[in-house]
Amino acid sequence: MAADPADRRSALNLPVAALALLAIVLAWPVPRGLARLTRLRRAPRASLVLWQASAVAAVLAALLAAPAAVLTIVEARPGSGVGSRVGSAVGSTAEAGTSLTLGNVGLWPAPVALLVTAVVAARLLFSGDRVGRRLRAARRRHRDLVDLLAVDGVNDPREDDRMRVLEHATPTAYCVPGLARRVVVTRGTLDSLAADELGAVLAHERAHLTARHDLVLEFFTVMHEAVPRFMRSDQALHSVTLLIEVLADRAAVRSVGVVATARAIVAMVGGPRPEGALGMSGSGPASASDARQRIELLEGGRVFGLPNVVASGLIYTASGLLVAAPVALLLAALATTSS
Amino acid sequence: MQKARNILGDLERAVIEHLWAAPHTSSGVTVREVHDAVGVDRGLAYTTLMTVLDRMTKKGLVSRQRDGRAWRYTAASSREALTSETMHHTLGELAGDERRGALLHFLGSSSPEEVDELRSALADLEARQQPADVSGGRSGRPA
Repeated sequence: MAADPADRRSALNLPVAALALLAIVLAWPVPRGLARLTRLRRAPRASLVLWQASAVAAVLAALLAAPAAVLTIVEARPGSGVGSRVGSAVGSTAEAGTSLTLGNVGLWPAPVALLVTAVVAARLLFSGDRVGRRLRAARRRHRDLVDLLAVDGVNDPREDDRMRVLEHATPTAYCVPGLARRVVVTRGTLDSLAADELGAVLAHERAHLTARHDLVLEFFTVMHEAVPRFMRSDQALHSVTLLIEVLADRAAVRSVGVVATARAIVAMVGGPRPEGALGMSGSGPASASDARQRIELLEGGRVFGLPNVVASGLIYTASGLLVAAPVALLLAALATTSS
Repeated sequence: MQKARNILGDLERAVIEHLWAAPHTSSGVTVREVHDAVGVDRGLAYTTLMTVLDRMTKKGLVSRQRDGRAWRYTAASSREALTSETMHHTLGELAGDERRGALLHFLGSSSPEEVDELRSALADLEARQQPADVSGGRSGRPA
């Protein structure tokens, strides 16, 4: 390697810069783009994995940028021992600046990347803590109220006493996840749905609970709130929510069939509504247009002209590559250094 | 822990149902009366009921008024109102930025046009499924 030191150093920083760029791209344009690729929803499970992969990759890239930058610069300094690498990182950059006449090009990524890592880690921890507390408190409060209000009616034999019936005319059903989980349905649901439609509703809710969809959603909520407000994409969070509903719908389809599931979805949206309960404006997470999309997604079908299995396979592959990318870039940064 | 919670939950339930059953004209129920109605059968002490009612006051489930040396307790809202409030609370949590207390499904606000589109989507699906119900929905349409 007879390369000019300055050239070599700028080459060293390429993977580091790529990591930083990857983090930004995955945090901002990618969620917006993915939310628009509505056709991917025909493969809901694979799509959800892709969403998760892009979020994980974004975090990895943001967190690895600093270690990569520091290691590259320290490694570039001749005679630096492996053990002293990280500890002397800050001091060595100044020292290297004189002894190796490192240019500005070689130096700036380290402190910037370190700052990014610190900020990203702090925001994630803070957001995770806040969202977790909020969710658990709200669920506990809600569960207590439901237990207080529930009229003993239909008990689902398979779920023991976990199903609660609220004396209310609006057909609605939801689940309160967690250790003491509940499936809540209203009197209006029991009165207005046929037996197989009620089966669809219960299968749907049970799928949420057994597959711990709440954790998937919690993960994305943490991510959503960890990034600065201007970067947050409500469409992204909405897409993920919709995909989770589609997955639960598919479980209902396996249980009672397509038509009963579709009818249940419609019945729950179009039912009579008491004052107040639906007065909220804006687009809720399960409006009629969402319900229509869910009905259209009940049957699967081709994705961009490809058979569903093939498309899913491609999406899974892309997800794997996405998560591998930050790690590969870190290794590339190290490899260029030690060569 | 779980057991204790359940017992407490059951007790709160019994107490509030007793309060809901009280005539609307009544000016409230004393701890003594609640204890007689709910506590004696369960072998609970008077002070236990006092504690439970105190907790429920703090949670906003019941309200109380001084009557001489005793408190008179009433349910803070009717069963119907509290049920509506509970459902509303779920919706509210899902609506804004501070969302997701419970996963709520199937429910939302929508315009008449959206509901029409929804119904025609269902009709389409039913039409598709009727002749070929045996295919298991796997075939689908070309995207």
